[in-house]
Amino acid sequence: MNIKATLSNPKARAGLKAAFLALALLLAFLAGREFHELRHYEETVVSAPGLTERKMLSDYLASLEGTWMDSPVFVYDSGVPGGSVFVMGNVHPYEPATSLAAYIIMENIKVSKGKVFVLPQGNRSASTTGMLANAYPKFFSVPTSFGAKKYRLGDRGTNPLDQWPDPFTYVNYPSRQNLAYQDIRNMNRTYPGRPDGTLTERAAYAVMELIRREKIDLAIDMHEASLMYPVVGTYVAHDRSFDLAMMAAMTLTAGSFDMKCESSPKGLRGLSHREWGDYSDTLAVLMETPEPFIDRVVGPMTEQLFTEGKDEFLDVAARHGLTYVPYSYETGAPLWYRCGRHLSGALEAVAQMGAFFPEKEVLVEWPGYEELKEHDCGYFLHDPGKADPKLVFKQ
Amino acid sequence: MYLTTSLILAAMAASFALASWKLKSPELSMAIAAVVGALAGGLGFPTRILVEGLFTNLDLAILFVCASVFVNVYSYTGAMNAVTRKLVRSVDSKWLLLVFMAIFMLIPGALTGAGSVSIFVVGTLVSTVIRYMGLSEKKAVAFVFVFAILSAAAPPINLWTMLMTAQANMPYVGFTKLLALPILLVGAFTIVYLGWGAKRESKEKILAELPEAPEGMNWFRILCPLAVLAGLILLSLYLPFSVPVLGLPLMFVLATIVAVLCNPRKATIKDYYELIGRTMEQVFPLVATVISVGALVNVIAATGVRGLIGITFVTLPIAWIYLTALLFCPFAQGALSYGSAIILGTPLIFLFNARGMNTTVVAAALSLIFPIGDCLPPSRIVGRISCETVGYAGSYMSFLKQIALPVLLLGALALAMLVAPNSFSFLK
Repeated sequence: MNIKATLSNPKARAGLKAAFLALALLLAFLAGREFHELRHYEETVVSAPGLTERKMLSDYLASLEGTWMDSPVFVYDSGVPGGSVFVMGNVHPYEPATSLAAYIIMENIKVSKGKVFVLPQGNRSASTTGMLANAYPKFFSVPTSFGAKKYRLGDRGTNPLDQWPDPFTYVNYPSRQNLAYQDIRNMNRTYPGRPDGTLTERAAYAVMELIRREKIDLAIDMHEASLMYPVVGTYVAHDRSFDLAMMAAMTLTAGSFDMKCESSPKGLRGLSHREWGDYSDTLAVLMETPEPFIDRVVGPMTEQLFTEGKDEFLDVAARHGLTYVPYSYETGAPLWYRCGRHLSGALEAVAQMGAFFPEKEVLVEWPGYEELKEHDCGYFLHDPGKADPKLVFKQ
Repeated sequence: MYLTTSLILAAMAASFALASWKLKSPELSMAIAAVVGALAGGLGFPTRILVEGLFTNLDLAILFVCASVFVNVYSYTGAMNAVTRKLVRSVDSKWLLLVFMAIFMLIPGALTGAGSVSIFVVGTLVSTVIRYMGLSEKKAVAFVFVFAILSAAAPPINLWTMLMTAQANMPYVGFTKLLALPILLVGAFTIVYLGWGAKRESKEKILAELPEAPEGMNWFRILCPLAVLAGLILLSLYLPFSVPVLGLPLMFVLATIVAVLCNPRKATIKDYYELIGRTMEQVFPLVATVISVGALVNVIAATGVRGLIGITFVTLPIAWIYLTALLFCPFAQGALSYGSAIILGTPLIFLFNARGMNTTVVAAALSLIFPIGDCLPPSRIVGRISCETVGYAGSYMSFLKQIALPVLLLGALALAMLVAPNSFSFLK
């Protein structure tokens, strides 16, 4: 059959067109249902009783209200004077061990001195779409005693439904540094943001305002990285927070797991570890855990790869010395390991802030690496059906 | 996993080859290969993954449509003929005109990062003028293609470099001379190589053959649409915080409206409607290609074939990477478009970084290699647009032979930078 010859017949041409149109509509309907499901699925979190206030990013920049970038900020205030800590997850929702770690913090936190602010969905819009050309699953599940809890697996950048089109190059404000065009939707390239900029720049600005208005002493941005990325398994710290991050890395490496520490490069603009520190008084720290799922050389994109982190190709890469943290197929990099690293990484940074700056001390508890290693993530999530409805949140 | 993914790759390649042979349609063949890959990979018929893939290059498809409409409307107004006549009348030297045409080709792509934009904006004009300079149709299409890929690689906007630096957390600085010098060398060589022996026809003969410019067409009407387009591009580049993000497609639409307003001839809405209809027919195969490639790429990722290709390349001994870079990288570009920079480019940057090599030079070198693949299957986007714009009737293989020498020179220069990056670091 020669398609061009067939198309020269008007009747056959019309018939083929009608058939293709019908097929396209059917595929659009079936796929549309799945896109809609990811866009509107709400994750459930049961907050610990210490919750004192629930704010929104739009409280810090009103123009975000009613947009998909508006996202809740949960405040845990001990009432005892001390420092303040801000923990943020899911700025890149294709790295969702960060939002799960934030949820585990929220569900188990106890603050006895100072205040803790948790923003589990840094870029909520980006969590509502799949990452183009990467064929990620829509969701991943965490087994618990009350059944599996389902979470969204999103994109690196803001959903194009909420911010489009992209320019042909993105110019960071105010540094004027040229960045790749799609970075205009990458929240971790748009700091310090603009109150009248794009939706992503406005969300970045709102986070900056939160840090400034709430006088945050330590701001922690959680991420996951591919294992072939040199900054994996690392604290990246602003100049002022470098000493405390280095001490935290040494403590963790001596006691729990290998953690590196790097100084935030001054020539690379728009990132939290640079701009949070430059445009506020906070001590800015970014943490990266190893996530095999986002390496470009891994095998099939499955939920299992995401939760267990086991991949044969990556094992080969590790044996060739191409990964920047130790890796083997047998151990993988499971979800508990990645969440556990973030939980202990954040706790250790908070502890070191208290050691370096006693007036900023925050006394806080949540499960750490060792507890997750023993019980896995689901153990620390609570049944929304049995919880106080006032402490159950959907987002 | 090697065996499984290799078998899936083989099934996809075989179904693509068979479908191409039977259907004579690369777009449908890619869609069929994607479905076969999904079935072979045990994914069943993954509707969401296939449809999501169609959106990967949607922006590019919209750009192609809007740019094509602009060029056809601009030509329809007679401005293209007028400017060609004015250029031929005022510049006598063949070499000077070829240099002007090369510069014309370089500017739009350098400002936008897309070689296809260069072809859409000035490709028709350039090919017309250089044909009158005595270049054969084959040489004209080679000229347009080579300068289109050079324009995409040229600073200030090189998308491959930007994507790699974004992934590798490197600042996009220090690339201007590293990219510009090889481009100038290859550009100069291309002008001499393609222009050598070409005999310019007499000015009178050219002017007699060229269609007359419509009455009332003047420099203002000629330049106004181009000025609006250039102005919008420059504004978004140099005053990004004062103007909203329009996107290139809307810029082309606005320039099209200006072209309509500047048309000295009477034309009805029906005329423009028919013109746009013809444009859609003309651009449809290209749009279908970039859309189908997206579905194919999504299935390649979902099944692990992408990982197989990536791990095979990056675990080669370094000498083999040098030997095969000019093969792997361009073919990855042909299949993945700009995704090639992320999938192959970024791991290579880390690999060379671990060996103490200058990563800025490495990224620049790779950014000069990837554009070569824009003439390779399955997408061969820039190659196809070049042939269509020039109206090249010869075989695609003859076009590839004609561009071989300039493209190999570009590859050789880039390879030299890749092999000894530290020797080129003075250009940072």
